[in-house]
Amino acid sequence: MLRIALKGILGRKARLVLTSLAVILGTAFLSGTAVFSATLNRTFDNLFSDVFRSVDSYVRSTQVIEADFGAEERQRIPAELIAMIEAVPGVGDVQADIQAFARIIGKDGEPLGSDGAGPPTFGSVGEEFQGALWTISEGRFAAGPTEVVLDEASAKAGSFVLNDKVKVVAQAGSREFTLVGIAGYGDVRSPGGATFALFDLATAQEFLAKPGFVDAILISGDGSASDEELALAINAAVPSSYKTETLTGAEITKETQDQIGSALSFFSILLSTFSYIALGVGSFVIYNVFSISAAQRQRENALLRAIGASKKQVTRALMIESVVVGLFGSTIGFFSGIGLSKGLSALLKAASIDLPSGDLVVPSSAVVNTIVVGLIVTVASAWLPARRAGRVPPLAAMRETAIEVVALTRRRTIFGLALIALGAASIIAVTNGVSNTWLGLGILFVFSGTITLGPVIARPVAMLLGKPAEKFRGVTGTMARQNSARNPKRTSRTASPVLIGVALVTAVAALAASISTQIDGVFTQQFKGDYAINTNARGFGGLSPSLADDINALPEVERATGIGLLTVKIDGKGQNLTTINPATVEGVFDIGLTSGSYADLTPETIFVSQQYAENNDAKLGDTIAVTLADAQVKSLSIAGIYEFDELAGKYTVSRDLTKDTTVITFDLGVYIKIKSGVSAESARTALQAAVDKYGQGTLLSKREYIDLQSGQINQLLGLIYGLLFLSVIIAVVGIIITLLLSVFERQREIGLLRAVGMTKSQVRTTVRWESVITSLLGAVVGIVLGVGLGWVIVYALRDQGLSSFSVPVGSTVSILIMAFVVGVLAAVYPAWRATRVNLLAAITTA
Amino acid sequence: MKNPSAATATNVSKIYGHGDSEVRALDNVSVQFETGKFTAIMGPSGSGKSTLMHCMAGLDEMTEGSVTIADIDIASLKDKDLTKLRRDKIGFVFQSFNLVPTLNADENIRLPLLLGNNKGNEEWIQKVIDTVHLQDRLTHRPSELSGGQQQRVAVARALASEPAIIFADEPTGNLDSTTGNEILSFMRKAVDELGQTIVMVTHDPVSASYADRIVFLKDGKIAGELLEPTPELVLDYMKKLGH
Repeated sequence: MLRIALKGILGRKARLVLTSLAVILGTAFLSGTAVFSATLNRTFDNLFSDVFRSVDSYVRSTQVIEADFGAEERQRIPAELIAMIEAVPGVGDVQADIQAFARIIGKDGEPLGSDGAGPPTFGSVGEEFQGALWTISEGRFAAGPTEVVLDEASAKAGSFVLNDKVKVVAQAGSREFTLVGIAGYGDVRSPGGATFALFDLATAQEFLAKPGFVDAILISGDGSASDEELALAINAAVPSSYKTETLTGAEITKETQDQIGSALSFFSILLSTFSYIALGVGSFVIYNVFSISAAQRQRENALLRAIGASKKQVTRALMIESVVVGLFGSTIGFFSGIGLSKGLSALLKAASIDLPSGDLVVPSSAVVNTIVVGLIVTVASAWLPARRAGRVPPLAAMRETAIEVVALTRRRTIFGLALIALGAASIIAVTNGVSNTWLGLGILFVFSGTITLGPVIARPVAMLLGKPAEKFRGVTGTMARQNSARNPKRTSRTASPVLIGVALVTAVAALAASISTQIDGVFTQQFKGDYAINTNARGFGGLSPSLADDINALPEVERATGIGLLTVKIDGKGQNLTTINPATVEGVFDIGLTSGSYADLTPETIFVSQQYAENNDAKLGDTIAVTLADAQVKSLSIAGIYEFDELAGKYTVSRDLTKDTTVITFDLGVYIKIKSGVSAESARTALQAAVDKYGQGTLLSKREYIDLQSGQINQLLGLIYGLLFLSVIIAVVGIIITLLLSVFERQREIGLLRAVGMTKSQVRTTVRWESVITSLLGAVVGIVLGVGLGWVIVYALRDQGLSSFSVPVGSTVSILIMAFVVGVLAAVYPAWRATRVNLLAAITTA
Repeated sequence: MKNPSAATATNVSKIYGHGDSEVRALDNVSVQFETGKFTAIMGPSGSGKSTLMHCMAGLDEMTEGSVTIADIDIASLKDKDLTKLRRDKIGFVFQSFNLVPTLNADENIRLPLLLGNNKGNEEWIQKVIDTVHLQDRLTHRPSELSGGQQQRVAVARALASEPAIIFADEPTGNLDSTTGNEILSFMRKAVDELGQTIVMVTHDPVSASYADRIVFLKDGKIAGELLEPTPELVLDYMKKLGH
């Protein structure tokens, strides 16, 4: 039987290729993701080993505030430690390090580096040092308060050459420097796309941070002691009151590598989630192809049964075929994945994210994983069709037709409906207060139920969707409509990948539309001004607080206020506080104060949200202990309670809270109300001039600002669409393969039609409309499911403040149009094949 | 004036292969099929009778010679025009697999008209449907029809567009003799009462005896003709030809 199976496979190479195609696509993304992640990890590991190569010890504060999303804020240490450490025996060279926000302004006045979501923009120290992180490639290191060095990538991006004037914005404001050098980081032009402006220590302290403080101290030993001994010696020399720790070079290298690793792992998890979705979609295609090919070989299998092969042997032959296809497909998929990962790197490079150069790393786990997973998915998908093939009665060999048996059982309907009912029940249970984990289960049930019901609904829905085709295309439309409905099982299996893809896209779009609407509503309610200055430096740097003060002083302005963010520790946990200027906030930005007044907000007080007050039984006069990033503890008493916490969050403090500390604050937005009688034009001119002075932030009208805020979610949407793209490709390939097999199966019919007068273009029309109907079937059912799924997710997020659900009308319409186009495109090759049917052979074979 | 000949083949040859392996399926065949007559083409297997029909119906390309259907020289036609010619001027009845399984009987009958976006002559179509007794089967799919009914639908389809000529390739080959005779009577009636022109390929003397004229083929050449045949006459003639 093994020989028969293998001969059968080799005898039909075209079928092998078609079947393998789905496996190849599914596994390619899997291996591509693994190789890409491994390569990225390895190159960053190498980069940091290289960078920290001559750093033997590393001294930093032990005081850390961990905020959301793994971000951390470490306290600065006093610069006097440098001299203390230099005196330790065994220490060779010492260098202070500062890494803080700084934005390089291009020659066109636009800041370098991407806004918001992109890599951060840093200012740092670059000085001659044995264990230097930076190596000068042109010119020299900066010396004195008017000089700067840029990383190679930024210098190139801004077309800066030595002796150019470079404007840089940082904590202390905006200043112009002379470019005296260009530096590389390890062997890359800039680390991971971040931009760097490098200064001498004194300038960096004063301009980027606070005079007298540094972020860390790097030590290079003189070779007389081991790294461990050196670290111990330094630790002993620094009084414990400084709250510092000393790491060896190996430790800081490892820690940095691990940090990057965990940041990258988020990325890898995202990528592999979507590659598994793609593989799941691919498994439908594999299942479909095996079903069709088993049906088309019904006579052959019946013949084998008639001459004495057992059911088991027939089934086994097909299983052997699936093993061959699985191995063949996933092997090719694995190698395609390597190509894919190179493409991914090239794509990032094109998006000017300069990744460290490094050799491709192909982890052995990726090889095994891809091939094993590909094999399992293929064999599992082939199992049902193989069993069905074994059940073919020997008599079928004598029968004329060999077309897939279409029997829709009642059992299927009942089972499908039961699954959907079960899913709906779980979801309803959740709306009545059961835990959210039931939602996932409910969604899974509804999906499985819909796919089980697929063959039952495929016929009526396809007939309905085909109505226009019949109306506009006459008899070719009728035939396309009937063809798409003639084998509901096949049609629904072909449409299922489209369904899954569309449902996911629709759900994401619905979620985004809801968030967008919500954000729009929140800003409309709370932002009472006419203009806003926006910055996209989320959580890292921002607008200098003096910008709001400058604008407040303009004669055109009634009032302007800045709003910022401050990361602190409350009860040992990192928290984000909103900082406002109580003197100017009223009437421009409304947080819905229900008790207390803005005048009560001083460096000794705090406002909390109503929600917080209710949850914690807090009342006016209670105190909250807040630990600032420099480890100072402030005891703040509650002086007011506010209602609108969507933007302000749980806590709001005065921006003066940090006035006498080393903690730096930025504004994330400045909100402006214009004096009545001032024309929009003159207001804009005056405001723009103020913004230009700082070289940072974008001036927007109220409407523009709100649209921008509510539109930000679309960036995320774009990423998810991109990742779902592979699933869509697999779905399209599924349609192509099914159509090809159907055309092959209907050769005689097509021959007959050609004989009695169907033109080639009419043949193509028939295939094309069948494809469009199938694709639309998947899209329509997918949209229905997706909107439902979106609603469920929005509902699940109600505690996160998402209160309204919006149907993504625009996205839905574009999905339908896309499904139509996909249908047309998928039909191109099969339709062409259909016109190549040998007319005479088709009508003369008995 | 109507041309007395619905289809004419002049010096038609069909050659497969080259050199030593050359096979002449048709060897310089010239024949005319009269309008309003029922003609049968007979001959043993491999005599070229089906090839002749395929070449004359524009289903296969001839190597040499010319064919005219309703005064149109088909050799010069491109695929698209040839397809239109088959649709508008020629009717077909095949031995099996004559109908599109997804269309009902009525749609199958009108298929050539529907493909040409042509309403057709409704009175004529009703007459055709009456002639083949299909009035109560029109909404049925082929899978719901018996073999005889399916062939009646096929005959009705061949007639529906009032073609210049109908080619039938062993139309009763898959039927029992009673049902087969019924189909042949319908074809006879179509010629006698509806004035149609039919050319039928067959190897069965009884079927051939329904025709007005029989053309015999042997080894790719015309071997003889018989007018007003009866089954006995046909058998005698076949013996004379040596098979």
